[in-house]
Amino acid sequence: MHDIPLTWFLIFASACFVIGLLGVLVRRNAIAVLMAIEIMLNAANINIIAFWRYSVPGPEESPVSGPMLAIFVITIAAAEVAVGIGLILLCYRRRASADVDQYDSLSG
Amino acid sequence: MSSELLFEFVYFIPEIVLAFWGLLVILLDVALLRGRPSETRGKILGMVSLVGAILALVSVFVPDMLSFGSATGAPETSIFFGAIFQGPVVERFSAFIIILLMFVIALSTTWNFTEHWGEYFGLLFWTAVGMIMLIAAEELVTLFLTLELMTISLYIITAFEKDLNRSSEGALKYFVYGSVSSALFLFGLSLLYGLAGTTRLSAIGAVLEPQQSVAGLGRNIAGAMSVLLILVGFGFKISAVPFHQWAPDAYEGAPAPVSAWLATGSKLASMIALTKVLIQALGAWASGDGNLASPGWVGILAVIAALTMTYGNFAALAQKNLKRMLAYSSIAHAGYMLVGVMAVAVAAGSRVAAGPILFYLVVYSVANIGAFAVAAWLFRDKKTDEIEDLNGLFAQYPFLAVCTLLLMLSLIGIPGVAGFWGKFFMFSEALTQGEDKHRLTFLWLVGLGLMNSVISAFYYVRVLRAMFLRPSTGAPLKPPTFAIRVAVIGSALVVIIFGLYPTPLTDETDRLADSRIFDSRLKHTGPAPKVALNGGLQPVASPVGK
Amino acid sequence: MNQILFGVIATLGVLAALGTVLARNLVHAALFLVAFFFLVACQFVMLEAEFLAAVQVLVYIGAVAIILMFGIMLTRNIQGDDTTTVSKAGFISGGLAAAGLLAVLVFGILDDEGRTGRAGWRDVTTRPAVYPVAARASAEQTKAVNNMGFVVGRELLTRYLIPFEVAGVLLTAALVGAIALAVQDGPSTDDPAERAKKAAEHTAAAETEPQLTSA
Repeated sequence: MHDIPLTWFLIFASACFVIGLLGVLVRRNAIAVLMAIEIMLNAANINIIAFWRYSVPGPEESPVSGPMLAIFVITIAAAEVAVGIGLILLCYRRRASADVDQYDSLSG
Repeated sequence: MSSELLFEFVYFIPEIVLAFWGLLVILLDVALLRGRPSETRGKILGMVSLVGAILALVSVFVPDMLSFGSATGAPETSIFFGAIFQGPVVERFSAFIIILLMFVIALSTTWNFTEHWGEYFGLLFWTAVGMIMLIAAEELVTLFLTLELMTISLYIITAFEKDLNRSSEGALKYFVYGSVSSALFLFGLSLLYGLAGTTRLSAIGAVLEPQQSVAGLGRNIAGAMSVLLILVGFGFKISAVPFHQWAPDAYEGAPAPVSAWLATGSKLASMIALTKVLIQALGAWASGDGNLASPGWVGILAVIAALTMTYGNFAALAQKNLKRMLAYSSIAHAGYMLVGVMAVAVAAGSRVAAGPILFYLVVYSVANIGAFAVAAWLFRDKKTDEIEDLNGLFAQYPFLAVCTLLLMLSLIGIPGVAGFWGKFFMFSEALTQGEDKHRLTFLWLVGLGLMNSVISAFYYVRVLRAMFLRPSTGAPLKPPTFAIRVAVIGSALVVIIFGLYPTPLTDETDRLADSRIFDSRLKHTGPAPKVALNGGLQPVASPVGK
Repeated sequence: MNQILFGVIATLGVLAALGTVLARNLVHAALFLVAFFFLVACQFVMLEAEFLAAVQVLVYIGAVAIILMFGIMLTRNIQGDDTTTVSKAGFISGGLAAAGLLAVLVFGILDDEGRTGRAGWRDVTTRPAVYPVAARASAEQTKAVNNMGFVVGRELLTRYLIPFEVAGVLLTAALVGAIALAVQDGPSTDDPAERAKKAAEHTAAAETEPQLTSA
């Protein structure tokens, strides 16, 4: 039975990351952008866990440095989504639109 | 072990005080002050918050008072298992950030822009916690978390003037750009974690250096991607072109005290963190064979710096709104500071090369606090903050107008005020550091910087023209509050004192810069790196691969 | 076997991500996102990080996806409309940029040849074994993989004490801030007529508001 090469995980993560970036570039709805950002954060987490599992921690390193980083990323993502939805609701109440492009009264 | 850990908490008192005071203010708001009109709540909570900030400021110096370490301040140590760095630079800049926070708190009571005063002051405190710890973070997990604590709280308080469309709109833009850039930053960080196998900055520096078979980032595309993505993340935080689009909107939309906080505290902490990460951890990737155009982040930084200062200044020329103009000016200042970061990167063996950046940051922050205090004053009385609203200020308030003049002159960099010395020290550092082959690039950048300073004079002078030459229009300004007076006069005093006699401040910043967080291991011939070569994660090659 | 399983999960994951990004209907996009989160959790299991897979399911599917759903419902953008449709020109330019970035990333990953003292990523085809018989496995690592919850808990209160506390402050700030932002100032009304009146007041206020700058 062959193990999965490390690069497979990395390429999968890169693909997800790039798809998320595509979403950020092409979507105009703020909630859709938020979802695309979540995809990018997950991609980074896959990278981190793959690197962690495919290597041996050095003598001074924490044995769970990768999972720890991933857990904090998940925490940050949750906080970011909560704040983001709050902001989007605030804007929506004032403008009746969740479309990023329509917020253009500030420009220059 | 556990008693040692308790001992380390002594260095952590300011953060604890700030974080708890944030909770206290919120509790006061919802418990004791419930039902009062928001104006009185704002005033009372502002006072309580000031008390908390003063307590935190005092507690910064507790380790000194308990006289750990020498007379020159606490010794440089890593505390909390290497998560946080403790040394004079952290201590002094914590104190500086808390002083800035006090000004922001005082300016916040200028007018009644929100009903949620408790939450507002609480979030201000927590941003300050984020900034202080961002300066102190010695490890990428802590660094990323504190960066996010700072920015997420700033997104929220940018939107706090709920009566105005522009506030929520600026905040939404800030949020969208900010979270995209932090996702990019995180992906870069994950690649760096894979390459270096550790998240501690000093260990990354030690691991990357011996790995160099090709200098800089040559033949290392994964490393190059990781540096690029990390630079995108920081570029957003310091609002460098091309990641600056949020800055004018957020600065104009946010209430003036929050804009001041964005322009000073947030930029100061992010700039120090950027320098720290680039120099301490990624020093090995600075440039190829010492040539600035060779693969390495110094070359990227040169392009970003040139674009940032030029774009910021030219865009500022077209602005009519005072806060928006200050936003573009702060973009331009980020460009000048990046030249200073490059100088640190090429400075051979000299740790104090970061001194001019620290000096520049202090002077820039002080001048901006004063300038945004003027914007707060305008908005309180006129409900707009256009440059035209300053018309005739000299006739009404000659002394404050002269103080504002000094602040503007400092931002331009006219000799006699502190801003001049900031630019002078930084540019001369850039010209004298490094080897001859760097000289031409730095000459170009410094030349561009000087040209840009001349251009910047035009838009700052527009403010002066409005104040001194134009007749007063519209309703006259009512007398400023005590906080505005103190902010404007105080910052003008600082700017003129250090403009005439900069030596005490430069001595101090040079002393603070002599820290290992501004020390690239590549250029430093000290004791061997503490971390062994096999520190960090070691990807294991399979027998099949070999 | 492992490789086939990976291939299936990865294909589904990429498809779910594409679905999230391209679905016109935001509710469909959110459901695709839930599928994506779940498939990422499956990848964590493939990487022997079951604890993390559980956290992923609990936090992402249990909380993040639900908040997003709330957001979608509250902004009444349930059915796709113009603002959620991807424009063709934008899609082509964005797609080209993304494809270029993907090419660079994949090339960089496959090209990583490793430097002194470190194997290149492309040479790493097996993970280090964690049963103690293996020469390179340390007891710590074995424990970290086999009993991650325990090790994570211990590390959170020692080595990662400061990040843990900062995360606490961060979550408090987000909680307090999100409520302060989303709460409607003044007395709230459920009456549509009242709401319309309020909206009209808002518009009137917006007209008298300072005109915002444009260059």
